[in-house]
Parts: sequence; C-alpha cells; structure tokens
Amino acid sequence: MGKKKKRVSSKVWCYYCDREFDDEKILVQHQKAKHFKCHVCHKKLSTAGGMAIHVLQVHKESVTKVPNAKPGRESTDIEIYGMQGIPPDILAAHYGEEEDDVPSKAAKVDIPPTQLVGGMIPPPLGTGYPSRPALPTMPPVYNPAVPVPPNAWVVPPRPQPWFSQPPVVSVPPAAPYTQQPLFPVQNVRPPLPATAPALQTQITPPGLPTSAPVPVSQPLFPVVGNNHTTTQSSAFSAPPLPSSVPSVTPVMSTNVPVDTHLSSNSSVTSSYQAIGVPGGAASNSHSYASGPNTGGPSIGPPPVIANKAPAPQPATNEVYLVWDDEAMSMEERRMSLPKYQVHDESSQMSSIDAAIDKRILESRLAGRMAF
Amino acid sequence: MASAVPATGRELSNPPSDGITNLRFSNHSDHLLVSSWDKSVRLYDASANVLRGEFMHAGPVLDCCFHDDSSGFSVAADNTVRRLVFSSNKEDILGRHDAPVRCVEYSYAAGQLITGSWDKTLKCWDPRGASGQERTLVGTYPQPERVYSLSLVGHRLVVATAGRHVNIYDLRNMSQPEQRRESSLKYQTRCVRCYPNGTGYALSSVEGRVAMEFFDLSEASQAKKYAFKCHRKSEAGRDIVYPVNAIAFHPIYGTFATGGCDGYVNVWDGNNKKRLYQYSKYPTSVAALSFSRDGRLLAVASSYTFEEGPKSQEQDAIFVRSVNEIEVKPKPKVYPNPPA
Repeated sequence: MGKKKKRVSSKVWCYYCDREFDDEKILVQHQKAKHFKCHVCHKKLSTAGGMAIHVLQVHKESVTKVPNAKPGRESTDIEIYGMQGIPPDILAAHYGEEEDDVPSKAAKVDIPPTQLVGGMIPPPLGTGYPSRPALPTMPPVYNPAVPVPPNAWVVPPRPQPWFSQPPVVSVPPAAPYTQQPLFPVQNVRPPLPATAPALQTQITPPGLPTSAPVPVSQPLFPVVGNNHTTTQSSAFSAPPLPSSVPSVTPVMSTNVPVDTHLSSNSSVTSSYQAIGVPGGAASNSHSYASGPNTGGPSIGPPPVIANKAPAPQPATNEVYLVWDDEAMSMEERRMSLPKYQVHDESSQMSSIDAAIDKRILESRLAGRMAF
Repeated sequence: MASAVPATGRELSNPPSDGITNLRFSNHSDHLLVSSWDKSVRLYDASANVLRGEFMHAGPVLDCCFHDDSSGFSVAADNTVRRLVFSSNKEDILGRHDAPVRCVEYSYAAGQLITGSWDKTLKCWDPRGASGQERTLVGTYPQPERVYSLSLVGHRLVVATAGRHVNIYDLRNMSQPEQRRESSLKYQTRCVRCYPNGTGYALSSVEGRVAMEFFDLSEASQAKKYAFKCHRKSEAGRDIVYPVNAIAFHPIYGTFATGGCDGYVNVWDGNNKKRLYQYSKYPTSVAALSFSRDGRLLAVASSYTFEEGPKSQEQDAIFVRSVNEIEVKPKPKVYPNPPA
C-alpha cells in the first residue's frame, strides 16, 4: 500500500490527452509542445488561453478548441498549467482509473516520449533534478545553479538515467526557450502599434487614487506585484508541507524553483511583470523562462536591458494634459465658437458666456494665488 | 464577403457632417441613435448600414437616447428637451432648461426622462404627456455645478458635475441626494457610467484616469474602490495624458470599454483589474462608445472632441465592429495550487 501511494503521488498526467509523466516539468513542456502551440507560427505559449489570444491578435484567427485534446476537454477557457487548474471531479476520476492500470506497463510506454520531451528541458532546470549523477560528469553546469534547491528537492530515483542526456543537449534548447520570456512583449506589440499606451496603463492602490502620478507607471503593476508576493509566501511555506503531505509533493517541488529564480533575478522578474503579464500562469511561465537567461549569459543580457530601459523614464517624465482647463469642459469651450451659437437664444448665451468668463478669471486668480 | 472588414470595424454611410456627441444602441434592435454638433440626430440601422431618419434642431445636439424602438429623446444647445418619433419623423418639445442641456437618460424603472444641464439643474419629465410643458415636467433639482454626465441603473441615478461633484439619487425620492460625493480623481470629470450589476459606477476624467467606485458606504465595500491610468503615451521625455471621453459596459459580461482622445479603445475587466484588449487606433478622438443589447456589436464614434481647440476638422465617422467574445469576456482566474 505504501509503495502504491508513492507511485500514485509521483505520477503526473496531462489533462488534455491523459498521458502520464514522471515529472511535472516534462508535463508542462509536453503541454506547450502539443496543446499550447500556435498552429500558424509554431510558437509555444504557456496556457491555452494565451495561445488563443496569440492566434487571435497576431494571426487574426479564432481558436475554440485546444489541439490534440480528448473530446470534452478541448475548452480554452480552463487555465491548465501542468497539474494546476484541473477540475476536481476530473482529478478524482483520473485517480480512480489509475488504480486499474498496470504501473509497470505505463512506465515502459512513457520512456520514449520522455526522451523526446527531455531534449527541450532548460539547462538549469535539468541540472537541478539530476544533481547527484550530474556532479561527476558536468560540474561546471552545476556550479551556476543555486546550491540550495537540490537539497530542498525530492529527487525520484527513476528519472536519473533519463536526465543524464539533457545536459548534453543543453545549448541548442536554450535558444527556443529564450523566445518564451519575450512572448508577452511580442504578443503585445504586433496588434498594438503604439506600445506606450500599454506601458502607461496602471492601476493605483486604493489609498492613492488622487495622488500625483506614481513613479513606476506600469500597466497593472501593483496588482501583479501583489500576486507575486502571495506566490512567494506560499513558496516559502513549501518546505514543511512535503514531509507532512506526500501527495502534494510534486506541486510543492514546482514552487521551490520558482522562488529560487525569482529571488536570484528579482529585477528581471519585476521588469517582466511591469509589462503587464496577466494572471498567475503567465507569471509562472516567466519564472521558468528566466532559467534560460541564467543558463545562457550570452542570450540573457539583451532582454534584461530592453526591459529595464523604460522603467526609470516615467518617474522623471513631465506630464502634459491634453485638456487642462478645469473651469470648462470641452463641450462648453466648443459652444463658445460663433459657429455653434444658437441664434434665437443669443441673449441667454451671452449671459452664459459672461458667467463662464467670470469663472475663468476666478480660476486664473486662484491659480496665481496658488503659485 | 470577398472584401475584408477593416480592423476598425465597418464604417456607417451618411455620417454626421460635424462632431459626434453621443451614440446609443437600441435595447430592442441593432438601431443606432447618433447626436451631433451639426444640429442633427440620426437613426441608423447598424446591421444594414442604412440611415433611417434624421431630425434637425436649432442648435448642436449634445445627447440623445432611445425611449423604445419607435421613439427617442434628444437634448440640445438650444436648451430644449425633445421627443423624436421615428416612424413619422415628428418631434415634440417636452420642455426647456435655462441653458444648454448636456445629457439625457430614460429610466425604464421609473418611466421618466432625466436631463442634466449647464444651468446647474437636473429635471425629470413624464414623456407620456406630450402636450403642455407644465404637465410633463415632474421636478427640477438644483445641482452644485453644471451637469456633465448622467448614468442610471435600476432606481439609482449618478450625476457628475463641474467642480468634480458627484450626486447619487434614488429616483423614488428625488427631494435630496441619497449621497453627496466628490470625485476621487483630481481632474475634471468627463464621463460616469454605472455598473450593470448596480453595485457602483465608473468615472473617467480628462487626466487619463478611471475611478471604480461603489455605492455601499460600508468599510468593506469602500475598500474595493480603486483607480487606474489609461489613454496615455510617452513622447520625447514627457507623458502625454488624454481625456477619457467614453465608458461603455458590456451588457453580458460586465466588462467595459473606454475611449479616449488618443484615438484608442481599450476593454477592461474591472473585477480582476486587467486590461483585456486594445483595438487598433481610430482616425481621431474616440468621442462615444455603445455596445448593442446582446453585446455582439460595439459602435465607436471617431470624432474630434475639441481637446486641442479649433483645428482643420478630420472626417467624423461612426464605426460598428463585431465583438469577439475573447475581447470582452473575463478570463478565469488561475489558482497556484489545484483544490484537492
């Protein structure tokens, strides 16, 4: 019984096609390659919703079904990320079915696809899992990674032989994954010719609705920041949970590397969030995407510089109001033109004009007193 | 079918010959009522792209709204409040204000017409008594300043005026406001629109900001209010901030579109504090927005709104675009850990 429980808890599966994987990161890569890939330009997106939006905005096509999904599970409205977001009833049903399956046969079937998917694993993530076998063969790869994560991670014995291959292929996969962190930028730019309005959009905290422009005027930044903080706090609480709740171990092990990358690349992460990444899923994808930047120094610097550049500008920017007349609305100003005068009511209009002129003078006097 | 619909949507034929002040979809059909500085109110069949009626006034028409599919109302700079009968092209004058009338709303809940004017008053009218101005006027309610924008939901009426005042009324007791507020935005109010669910209102200003407010004065509800920046751009080391002229709520999803003098239309999810979409840029300022009753169409008035004074007029245009569900539907929340 104990052994069976361990096996059940260690296995993850794809909501869309029911295939099983021994590692959630491989599952995520599988979903990106098989279910979240744009059929037009073959870009891998992080979620079904993100893929649908990308196809709509960039290619002007609508995608209503997740590709390669089982009937009844094609909806793009459910946000799946690995094992996260699966409806509870389907989750329970799947575990019920799994008891009937023969574990050994399933494991054998998974071996070939795992190797194929393994080729796309980012170097730092790959390094983390096979830390023990990798030490003798590739010490340099292990050194760049943060030493703390290996101790915190629960390393299953089975994946060891398969993970020995990814480090060898570490360089080529880094290139396609570098595109991932740029995805939100690329996604935003093509359908939105003017980038500035998007960057300028920002939700201010309730306490500051009437304050002067916030130094960091990024779109929805405070809200995303709050989500980030919540994620971090939950990540901090991850270590004690694995020991007490073995079934949750795979999920918690996912959070730990997220925290590690975020802490090591806080500035980069902040810049990405500043772009206005929607929801937690995108934030998670960013934390994964930041891995390749760390692993490949030659590719990392450019996006960092690009994202850092706009940040300080808003703080120093002078604000120019297109309409700055507080005493009069745009319609009132327009009404004062001869072209729009109502002739049969000229007397009333002249009195209104006089009243408006008085208000303007008063506001100007008040302005002078303020100065 | 062969020709593709442009990114801005289909342009209506026979647009007004001067600036557009407002446009509204009917609650019963795809008819669109449009008021203009050219002193006309026009009725379009937006689906068929046909002009169905035109009503000339003595002065610029500052707002209009539907009564039902056979009639509507208009308010103009000649101080008049008019009823327009579409089938016969007739119009009746319900009454007058002492200054140009800026906005009009018809309350289906109360069966009354509400108008706001630069004479600093709000007036309620009973449109059933078309003859005799004395009989139609239900009441006159003084405001602290000139009325700039009105919005109705259920029995609630929100009045936004110059001086950043916001008065909230219950139509069943107009003797005094239910609440007297001040705008939480620092600059001049531009537009106010109530949430379809009746819990609050969105208010926009000339400073590229929208405030999300709630009627319930409890601490828990007021903690939910917030404001966000929009319709801005950075250029040559300075932030150019545009007025937010229009707010329109989607009738089904409760998300809303904003239009600004920067020529852009954005769609927002107010509950999740996210921007859902930004449409491609329109030729000039976006003066007005309106969703059709089923939310499948969005009418956009692309019309210079005089924010930079008089200048050689660009073409005023009305675009009607099909709305993709993905543009206006809130995205489901992503939970960090699946519930066990």
